[in-house]
Amino acid sequence: MAPRHSTLLLTVATACLASLASAADLIVHVQSAANAPVEDAIVYAVPASPPAPAAGLKYSIDQVNREFVPRINVVQTGTAVRFPNSDNIRHSVYSFSPAKVFTMKLYAGKSADAVVFDKAGLVVLGCNIHDLMVSWLLVVDTPYFARTDHDGTAMFSRLPPGDYTLRTWHEPMTEDQQGAEALHVDAGAGALTHTVHIGTP
Amino acid sequence: MIRFRSLRVRMVVFLVALLGIVQAAEFLLTNDASYSAARNKIEDEFSVGQRVFARVLQQNSERLSQAASVLASDFAFREAIATGDTGTLLSALENQGARINAKAVLYVDLKGQVIADTLRPDIPPHAFEFPELIARARTGSVASTTDLLHGQAYQLIAVPVKAPVTIGWIVVCFPLDLALAQDLRQLTGLDVSFANEQQGRWNIFATTLPAAVADTLRTGLPDYADALDTRVLQLPEGQQQMRLVPLADDAHVAAVLQRPIASAMASFRTLRATLVVLGFLSLAISIAGSVLIALSITRPIELLLAAVKRIRRGDYSEEISVPREDEIGALAQGMEHMRTGIAEREQQILKLAYEDPLTQLPNRSQFALELEQGITQARTRGRSLAIMVMDLDRFKYVNDSLGHGVGDHVLREVGSRLRLMQGDIGCVARLGGDEFALLVHESDVAAVIGVAHRIIKALEVPIIYDGQPLDVGTSIGIAMFPAHGDKSETLVRNADIAMYVAKRTRSGCAVYEKNYDTSQQEHLSLLGELRHAVEHDELRLHYQPKVDLHSATVGACEALLRWNHPRRGVVPPAAFIPFAEHTGYIKVLSRWVLEEAVRQLGAWRREGLLLQVSVNLSARDLLNRELPETIAAILAQHQVPASALCLEITESGFMEDPTHALRVLERLAEIGLQLSIDDYGTGYSSLSYLMKLPAKELKIDRSFVSHVSGDADLRTIVSSTIEMGHRLGMKVVAEGVEDSESYALLRELGCDTAQGYYMSPPLPPEAFQAWLEGRLPTAEPISVARWDRSPCAPSPDAAQQQTARDRTG
Repeated sequence: MAPRHSTLLLTVATACLASLASAADLIVHVQSAANAPVEDAIVYAVPASPPAPAAGLKYSIDQVNREFVPRINVVQTGTAVRFPNSDNIRHSVYSFSPAKVFTMKLYAGKSADAVVFDKAGLVVLGCNIHDLMVSWLLVVDTPYFARTDHDGTAMFSRLPPGDYTLRTWHEPMTEDQQGAEALHVDAGAGALTHTVHIGTP
Repeated sequence: MIRFRSLRVRMVVFLVALLGIVQAAEFLLTNDASYSAARNKIEDEFSVGQRVFARVLQQNSERLSQAASVLASDFAFREAIATGDTGTLLSALENQGARINAKAVLYVDLKGQVIADTLRPDIPPHAFEFPELIARARTGSVASTTDLLHGQAYQLIAVPVKAPVTIGWIVVCFPLDLALAQDLRQLTGLDVSFANEQQGRWNIFATTLPAAVADTLRTGLPDYADALDTRVLQLPEGQQQMRLVPLADDAHVAAVLQRPIASAMASFRTLRATLVVLGFLSLAISIAGSVLIALSITRPIELLLAAVKRIRRGDYSEEISVPREDEIGALAQGMEHMRTGIAEREQQILKLAYEDPLTQLPNRSQFALELEQGITQARTRGRSLAIMVMDLDRFKYVNDSLGHGVGDHVLREVGSRLRLMQGDIGCVARLGGDEFALLVHESDVAAVIGVAHRIIKALEVPIIYDGQPLDVGTSIGIAMFPAHGDKSETLVRNADIAMYVAKRTRSGCAVYEKNYDTSQQEHLSLLGELRHAVEHDELRLHYQPKVDLHSATVGACEALLRWNHPRRGVVPPAAFIPFAEHTGYIKVLSRWVLEEAVRQLGAWRREGLLLQVSVNLSARDLLNRELPETIAAILAQHQVPASALCLEITESGFMEDPTHALRVLERLAEIGLQLSIDDYGTGYSSLSYLMKLPAKELKIDRSFVSHVSGDADLRTIVSSTIEMGHRLGMKVVAEGVEDSESYALLRELGCDTAQGYYMSPPLPPEAFQAWLEGRLPTAEPISVARWDRSPCAPSPDAAQQQTARDRTG
């Protein structure tokens, strides 16, 4: 897949947009320009008034066989992320992304300090020792986020009614290239289905 | 056209021309081949250089790309780019660029915007000039290109910056500068110029060429499209091998690779110079060789030519020697054989010319030469010289009767005997026939005569042939230089004359005297006169009676020839008979005598005078086979019976050719002629011949008879001869009876007939007749008183006349 980042468009189908009852379920289908389901896309809904960063949230990105596992990650702002390092070799995880710049040495069998991502944004993680190791970590100001499965479907349950901005990211989009569309969830709206198209029109 | 007469020059010119052409052709071919080889070689070299250039340029680019990649992956650098501000970014770029000697480093973000440019640090972000490079870098990891940037040719390399995903690109710029050009030159061996064409004008960024050449190159290059196809570039500095290697086709940036053809061809020129030198050297050697070969062929030919000239001049002395194995050697050998052959044959010819092949003595010509030489020598030394001319007595008899083989044997034997005496003699030569000549270097005549006698003595020893002894005597004539002549011909002739005298006088040898010459001269003129005498009736026959001793009667007479010369008076027979015999005129004389005698006989018979007439025959007459018929005809003509004619022959006359003579004599006897043997006792007196001859009469020579009365030995000889004659059935006649004692004695001894001055000298017919009439018809004893009445008393020269008469026989 070779998407044109500069021209990446996010199209949100609004066919089924209706006023939602409180706490509705949302199903989002992410499709490519050719209507193929897109796996591992991250879909998140940011409320009109963003909640305060969560405290005590924890997340873990392991290093297995010189790969970040998982590769695609999404956390709410304020989450402390650990890098346990399952390899028996050293790693030096870093990020030059504006959301979080850090460098941390990971020793084999030794737990390192968790890194708290307190700023929303896209963080690209790399290993200073192993150039090929790449991991994407999307830090979002919302607890409502989901990853598409094999069918390109992301599931949201019990989404409180209100206005949201629905955003979709997929590797290797930059922050700017994310699609954004308004989403209103009525109270008692039930289940909502939404289709998002990414890629060139 | 020039013509070379000399074989040597011709060969040299031909060989030199041939070799020159071959050498020139060889040089041209080699030169051509090596030139094209050299051209191919420098083309190949150039192509290799070009490939090396391309490879090196690519490697350089890869090296720079790697360096840039390494640079871009530096963590601190990445951190600085990802997180730093523009100032930090610029400083980081500069720092990293300096590490790899980049002229400039740019940072291009994902949008293709130049964020930082170390060349122009203050410029605000703007679109990168070569988006295509970034596009290529997007798909691959590293991309490079060559192009103009800010008016300068650069090699641009774009490398992504990953953090860890690509966040942008750094573009590293390396200028096409002198250092690179020099590096490339070192590796390729070609001059490298980085240049750019714009609207037909060339700009050279960097070049390994000297400034002046670079300038001419800049102006000399055609426009870009043409330059791409140019292989050879004409520059004021000389022809250049050239390739234009495009670096940035759109921007018309290229590398010009070049090499002067002259320097590339330097090795070829060295080779050509070597070839030229070698060519001339081998030409010189070939010329020298050909000259040597030509000389080695022509020199012996010149030697042979010289030898041929020598032989032509008659000089055979020098040997022709060209010791070679080849054809010329064989030719020389052949010519050497020819030379010796010619020399030998000339020697033989000379020998034949100057030597008598039979006796191997010098011949007449050689003798003449020796004589001339001897005369010259004797003249300068003031000395005398003697020459002898001799011939063999009875040689003709030996030759004719016993054959030429015997004659040759005799001549050879005589020659060898004479040669044995050569110590005394200067030169012995055979003049021809049985005639020999000798040259004696002796002034004293007596001594010369002594030599002559030794020769005579040496030849007296019989020559044995086939076991049979042959008796050959000799007569020698001697002439002295200068007394008897100062010319060789005169001397030989005079010696010859003397020899005839010696022969005539039977003295063995005679020294020339002046009067011999005149008598000889007389002989010569006599021939004509003798003819005249026969034709003009100057000859007469005188008759001498033959008295029968038993009956004292005269029944026969001998006819004797007399010549009453109108000027000289009576010429004795001795003065002309030998001459007549010698010339063959004797035949005419004998016929005349026979006719006259038979005519007289007939006349007398008609008068009743019945006499027998004796006629002397020459030895030559006996060889005439027609003689019997001739005589028979004469007798018949005068009606005279054959028995009335008696023919007197001498033994020697008979022995010249006994076989012939005997046949003639037998025929004469058959006719009825009387035959008498004359002068018996003087010659060989061969009894075997005596027996064979059909003669009825034997005449004892007067040398026995004239003194018989006073010599007992003579009497014994005469007596026994008479006895023998009678026993053989012959009548015996004694001639030369000059006194009564002899007359009486002869009668006492039983001799049948006497003839001589005691009775009567030879008388003319009329006187003889008168003498007879005084004596006849009675046959009384002869008385001395009657003799006194004789009209012709014996005269003082009677003896001489008698002697001369003998020779008529």
